[in-house]
Amino acid sequence: MTLLDFARGPAMQIAIFIFVLGIFWRLVGVWALRQKKDLSEPRQKGAWIGGIKGLYAHAWPYKPFVPYVGAQYIVGYVIHLGLFIVLFFGTPHMLFFADIVGFTWWTLPGGVITFVALVTTVALFIALTKRLVNPVQRLISNFDDYATWFVTTLPFVTGLATTANLWPHYETGLAIHLLSVWLLLIYFPFGKLMHSFWFVVSRYTTGSRFARRGGMA
Amino acid sequence: MSKTTTEMALDLEAKRLSVVEPGTRVDLQGEMSDEERVEKAMTNFAKDFGRVTATYMEACIHCGACAHACPFYEASGNPRHTPIWKLEPFKQAYKREAGPLAFFYKAFNLKKNVTLDELKEWQELLYDTCTMCGRCTLICPMSIDIATLVGMARHGMFHAGLVPHELYTVTEKAQREGSPLGATPQVFEDRVEWMGDEHEVDMHMNEDEAEVLVLMSSIEIQKYPESMAATAKILNQMGKSWTYRTDGYEATNFGLLSGNTAWQKEMSMKVIATAEKIGAKLVILPECGHAYQALRWQGANMYGKPLPFKVQHISEFLADAVDSGSLKLKTVNSTVAFHDPCQISRRGGATSAPRKVLEALGVKLIESKSGGSMNTCCGGGGGVITIHRADTLRYKVMGAKFRQLGETGAEMMVTSCSNCRQNFDDSGEKLNWDKQMNSLLELVADNLVEEAKK
Amino acid sequence: MKEHSLTLGEELRRQGISRRSFLKFCAGVASSMAIPATMVPAMAASLAQARRQSVIWMSYQECTACIESLTRAFSPTVENLIFNFISLDFQHALQAAAGDQAVEALRNAMDENWGKYLVLVDGSIPLKDDGIYSTSHGQTHLESLREVAEGAAAIVSIGTCAAYGGVGAARPNPTGAVGVEDIITDKPILNVPGCPPIPEVMTGVLTSFLAFGELPAVDRLKRPSAFFSDTIHDRCYRRPFYDQGKFAKSFDDEGARKGWCLFEVGCKGPITHNACATMKFNQGVSWPIQSGHGCLGCSEPNFWDKDSFYKPLSAGQWGSAEGIAIAAAAGVALGAASAVMSRKNQDKISGGK
Repeated sequence: MTLLDFARGPAMQIAIFIFVLGIFWRLVGVWALRQKKDLSEPRQKGAWIGGIKGLYAHAWPYKPFVPYVGAQYIVGYVIHLGLFIVLFFGTPHMLFFADIVGFTWWTLPGGVITFVALVTTVALFIALTKRLVNPVQRLISNFDDYATWFVTTLPFVTGLATTANLWPHYETGLAIHLLSVWLLLIYFPFGKLMHSFWFVVSRYTTGSRFARRGGMA
Repeated sequence: MSKTTTEMALDLEAKRLSVVEPGTRVDLQGEMSDEERVEKAMTNFAKDFGRVTATYMEACIHCGACAHACPFYEASGNPRHTPIWKLEPFKQAYKREAGPLAFFYKAFNLKKNVTLDELKEWQELLYDTCTMCGRCTLICPMSIDIATLVGMARHGMFHAGLVPHELYTVTEKAQREGSPLGATPQVFEDRVEWMGDEHEVDMHMNEDEAEVLVLMSSIEIQKYPESMAATAKILNQMGKSWTYRTDGYEATNFGLLSGNTAWQKEMSMKVIATAEKIGAKLVILPECGHAYQALRWQGANMYGKPLPFKVQHISEFLADAVDSGSLKLKTVNSTVAFHDPCQISRRGGATSAPRKVLEALGVKLIESKSGGSMNTCCGGGGGVITIHRADTLRYKVMGAKFRQLGETGAEMMVTSCSNCRQNFDDSGEKLNWDKQMNSLLELVADNLVEEAKK
Repeated sequence: MKEHSLTLGEELRRQGISRRSFLKFCAGVASSMAIPATMVPAMAASLAQARRQSVIWMSYQECTACIESLTRAFSPTVENLIFNFISLDFQHALQAAAGDQAVEALRNAMDENWGKYLVLVDGSIPLKDDGIYSTSHGQTHLESLREVAEGAAAIVSIGTCAAYGGVGAARPNPTGAVGVEDIITDKPILNVPGCPPIPEVMTGVLTSFLAFGELPAVDRLKRPSAFFSDTIHDRCYRRPFYDQGKFAKSFDDEGARKGWCLFEVGCKGPITHNACATMKFNQGVSWPIQSGHGCLGCSEPNFWDKDSFYKPLSAGQWGSAEGIAIAAAAGVALGAASAVMSRKNQDKISGGK
């Protein structure tokens, strides 16, 4: 069995298994905790509307905060959108999903994907630099932050290297790229990458809690 | 714990000679072994973890944005004052003891056990530099309610005997005497009577039955007694059936501020029982932020069922009164900047009430930058104002607040929280502020259109 | 036997091949094998001095396509002469002799050139049940290979079967077939995989062996690096379409007619190392992708077993919906268990208060 066979077969199956298992584990582990009902008299009905509002209200900082964190948000968006575009609109990636879901969709030319991936990688390095240089971020960072950065950046770097065929053997490069993605999947449920789920839960929770009070969140 | 002075940096910007971080003193209560303290902190912290708070603990991405919403970080520039960092040991404890991956973390010791030294270090972060104003939640991309988590962390700190002495002392006093600042029932009764005479207002004290029960905070009783007269004047004018009660008058809840849930419940229950006894349909809270939080939003949860009466902050009551036309006000010719108390506006939801009242007064309200529900905290709430070693930073926070209010160019400063007001008075004196913070309630009382008595 | 004493140079002159066309041939081989141009005169000189090489071709579990490919491709050129120049002492598909006669020819060739002859092998060798699934003249191919290999100077495995087992070794591999390198470990071995391999690669390897007396440089799969270092994808004339994101979605759509990239219909070009894209087949007439079909990856080990030929390369074997459902169920169980533990812990703490 070559490395590529391993990456396309058993490694992928193991990674997907751990990915799915871990996500359910962590979500259910929190949701199955007790929650005391709030007995206070709500100021207004329809707290869930506030919850929905909370989902997009925090998509961009409130005006007074823009000068402080606006740039950080932009870098964040570049990373997230870049990840999204490369993941879903790169042809090989789309075909990967198509094999699982059974239908195909429109994709972007390889050159565009390469460019987006490059920009995203640069944004990732900017984010890392900020984490290392900014006193606040450096203080509050832990292993998870750097590990998350690493497993997120690795697929971009290996993917770009494979596209540019910088490896001695293309199939080894492809295998390493695949394995780097499986590493991401395996790490995903156990680190802060889970924020892709928590951000919805957390924003909705706070939004609805404070809408109930009439306050601001 | 104390270092020698040579190890400490001098703060040359301070008005008097001082050191940069006088907060290295750590207070301990009770006789306990180190292990016992840590154990108590952890268990009392983990005890109340529910789905909501666990979600918050899971959601943080360590982006550090919260620092920029925090008045203490903005004043000190010290990364330790980043809101989420104030929870660090407790986040560790959550992940190690209560989270879904706790087994994992514990088995491989990935999250270290919290140490007493860490808890001691965090005393300053959890008490001196956080008013639980919740502004950090606004900037948080994950919308994490850090203030609530700090409140939970304080539960652990209290039971481990790790509360700053001043806060502990007033809390213990409140528990023993019924009031943190020596406003015993007797003192309260005397001062109400005094104010009644002084302002020639009919005071209703210890009525057996009344529709409205009025509470006062000990800050008002002791420092701003005019509030008691002002409230009475307005209620009399409206012809309400109301009363003060010596068995349930204290609105502040230091059980909540210090982190003792049992005491918080006792303090709230005293008021709830009194209101029930006299058949009150409405409990009016004085100009006090945490009081609103304690009774309006946490009261029912302490009681264990919905409260049989309505709870209003005085500004809400006044807003309803001017709305319904039962209260007529004279026009005040002035420009006003309003300082929103965090617990009433952002975290309480009564942001529009004082604005309605100010509109009825005919003043021109000039909103400050980042005003209303996004208001910057004065830095004195959450018990911070009681802690002496927190003074230096508190004044710095207030310096920024003064600048912000000054930028509005308004002639008159108004707020609806006597704790904020106390902080403005104290810091104003210290920093030579050229303005005075006024009470919304007193402003209304001074400008009533007095109709002929029936 | 007299011809055996002639050098290649003498033989060429005898046949009226000019030095000019001989040098041209040498330059061609050199360039295809990435030998520096400065080496060409030395190579030509050395090649001209070469004596007739005894070559024994053993065919085992095979389909004869390899030899077909080689013989079909050869027009009467210098290449042809090179092929004629070697003494193909045994090749049972081509030789006139059969049965005992043929075996005798083999024995003679081995005896006369012991330690010096070159062995070419096509077809895989079954190992299961002592190799009884494939025999010639009462002898299993396993025994035969061991015997022939013993006196060989070097072995060249022709085609994917001889190199890596090929179709014979495809799952479930009923005969336990393997390639030569899995049996013979003490001789220099070179693989020329492909189903079939490119004829010019074969000539190049032979020429190089004649000129330099040893096998050319090989990669980790023992393939001549000169021909196998690039992938089909690297050199494919349809590569620009891949880069532009223009793909045929099926074999009869507009994209297919326009000759767009075949990645989406399962082309294995990106992971296949071979020279098809540059050398093509049948004297450069065409090759699979040019004729409209994606690369099957026929020169790679186990290419039969690498999922469907028509499944895009980036689609992996993700397993089954059941597997994912099991993962989800296990996750829910673990999550619930951890929450129950937390709740119990909280009850204990509260109770003890």
